[in-house]
Amino acid sequence: MVFDLRISRRSALRLGAGAFAGSLAMPAILRAAPKEIVVGGPAGAAKYFNADVFPIIEKALDVKILYEGTNSLTNLQKMQADKASPKMSVVIMDDPVMLPAAASGLITPIAASTVPNLAKLVPGTIHQDGMWANYQRPWAGIAYSTKRMPAAPKSWATLWEPKYGQKIIVPSLQNTEGFWVLLAAAHLETGKPYKEAQYDIDAAFRKLKSLKPNLLNVYTNAPQAINLLEQGEAWMIGGQFSAYTLIRKADGSPIDLAIPEGGGFSMPSGIAKVAGAPAGTTSDAVINAFLSPEVQTVLATKAFVAPTNSTVPTPAGYPDANSLFAPDWAFIAKERAGWVERWIKEMS
Amino acid sequence: MSDRALPAPATPAMKPAPDRERRLALLIAAPAVLVLVGLFALPLVKLLAASLTDATGLTLTHYAKLLGTSYYLGVIWNSLRLALVTTLIALAIGYPAAFAIARARGWVRSALLASLFLPLAASVIVKAFAWTILLRSDGLVNTVLVGIGIIDEPIRMIFTETALFVGSVNIFLPFMILPIYTVVAQFDGRLTEAAATLGAGPLEAFVKVVVPLTLPGVIAGVALVFSLSVSAYVVPTLLIGERYPTLSTTIAKAYLLARQPEFGAAAGVVLLAIAIAVVALSTRLGRTGGKA
Repeated sequence: MVFDLRISRRSALRLGAGAFAGSLAMPAILRAAPKEIVVGGPAGAAKYFNADVFPIIEKALDVKILYEGTNSLTNLQKMQADKASPKMSVVIMDDPVMLPAAASGLITPIAASTVPNLAKLVPGTIHQDGMWANYQRPWAGIAYSTKRMPAAPKSWATLWEPKYGQKIIVPSLQNTEGFWVLLAAAHLETGKPYKEAQYDIDAAFRKLKSLKPNLLNVYTNAPQAINLLEQGEAWMIGGQFSAYTLIRKADGSPIDLAIPEGGGFSMPSGIAKVAGAPAGTTSDAVINAFLSPEVQTVLATKAFVAPTNSTVPTPAGYPDANSLFAPDWAFIAKERAGWVERWIKEMS
Repeated sequence: MSDRALPAPATPAMKPAPDRERRLALLIAAPAVLVLVGLFALPLVKLLAASLTDATGLTLTHYAKLLGTSYYLGVIWNSLRLALVTTLIALAIGYPAAFAIARARGWVRSALLASLFLPLAASVIVKAFAWTILLRSDGLVNTVLVGIGIIDEPIRMIFTETALFVGSVNIFLPFMILPIYTVVAQFDGRLTEAAATLGAGPLEAFVKVVVPLTLPGVIAGVALVFSLSVSAYVVPTLLIGERYPTLSTTIAKAYLLARQPEFGAAAGVVLLAIAIAVVALSTRLGRTGGKA
């Protein structure tokens, strides 16, 4: 059977009228699918982002967020590889990784004209004239199993105690939180406060190597490590932070987060627009949503982090900001590649 | 008698001339050749070129670092040890298993074949994670061992070499059994009876008749399992982690974390060379009947 595909003027008019009437009757046909935007960020945040944060943003902006969860250095590598034709539009990374991203021209500044919530942020949370902003401030200490340890660890030195042989997990230095154990090791080895000890990396590695007999594992995958802590297979994770640990505690897991003597650490997380972002102005809207009171409230209550929007209260139980040490991120960013290589060789 | 040459016999109408036949063959092969060149040859050339360059131009620095430092020689040895141990254990389990499946009949054979094929449908990641659950202090393995009195209290099994080898063998075992089973299934059982009538004992019949005839399957299985396990990434990453660096994990770190793609390319070339050497040796052994 052969069909004649030629359309007469009369048929064309009939088809056009039918399509117009149909679209009036069923507007969903004409409604475009929500615009997709790729957001890169930490793997450990994927669960609460997908459950509690993205639905709010997707509904408000009529977008579909595709989340690529990995660690910040891997996202940086992806951005470098895709520089000519970026796939991600918004990136969520730790401050020490934002520094090389900005230096390489991989992220582009945001301004209050397109991201109004920038104007509501607390001081010190907008960096390099809007190159990136902090959307949350988690804190880091020692995560521990309440099933295995009746009392919270009091000192970073607890990690080195012989009775915890093969019971300790630490993050790899490939993860930003890996620096905390290195810093604690430098502090213990030199006896100096964090502010001075952070520059004595040889001392840090010397001390850290003596932790090997106590190590169950060195992780790059945070969810796997938290899972081992929940099971009681690991007793402590050195340098773990609130956004990962306390969210699991709230769900009923027998784990908690302790601030050892000498203090915990402040770990600001940044959000930035990728240079040449394929989603264009939608990227600004998504960043603005992350900085909005609605999302910041969710983050503060669900992930137990300090909000950066000044209109949102800090969650109950959040440690005094003055007791948290913020290191010299610029120094870390400059030296990190060499440290990672050294870590891989010396901690294997 | 005429001296005129006889006319040449007419070429059968259906048979094309040799030149035309060759052209036709080339034309048929061209798309496949183009795909192979585009998808395999060019990327490999690019990989090799990248491994021989740095910011200053041509260099052998990356290979010197890989093959001249004790740490990276240890990394290569870790990969080889994982592959050798996995292959040997898989062969020890897989050879009799292949015979068991081939000798089974009816629903028993179907069940055994299903148990061999079904795990292939599960992701390597799922299987590796499953082992981390089974090998925990409160996991099934420790619970059973404590229950039957072999150990008094749970012992650490996760993130150990034992866990790595157990998981690796479990994941790659089907690739050893399948080629051996394929050969054994075609094996004529009367050959061993014939050997017995000629005075061979069971052991002699096995060594002189069964082993040589099943050798092609063994060689194929060894080549497959060795190649897969020497280049495994997920298995060592999940079952032992950071403290057992292999060539695969080193390549990933070089590209994703250390931002040293040229060094990663050199490690990739070394890994590829090991895999090619194993396959080439297997092919040679297959052709010479096990004599190198």
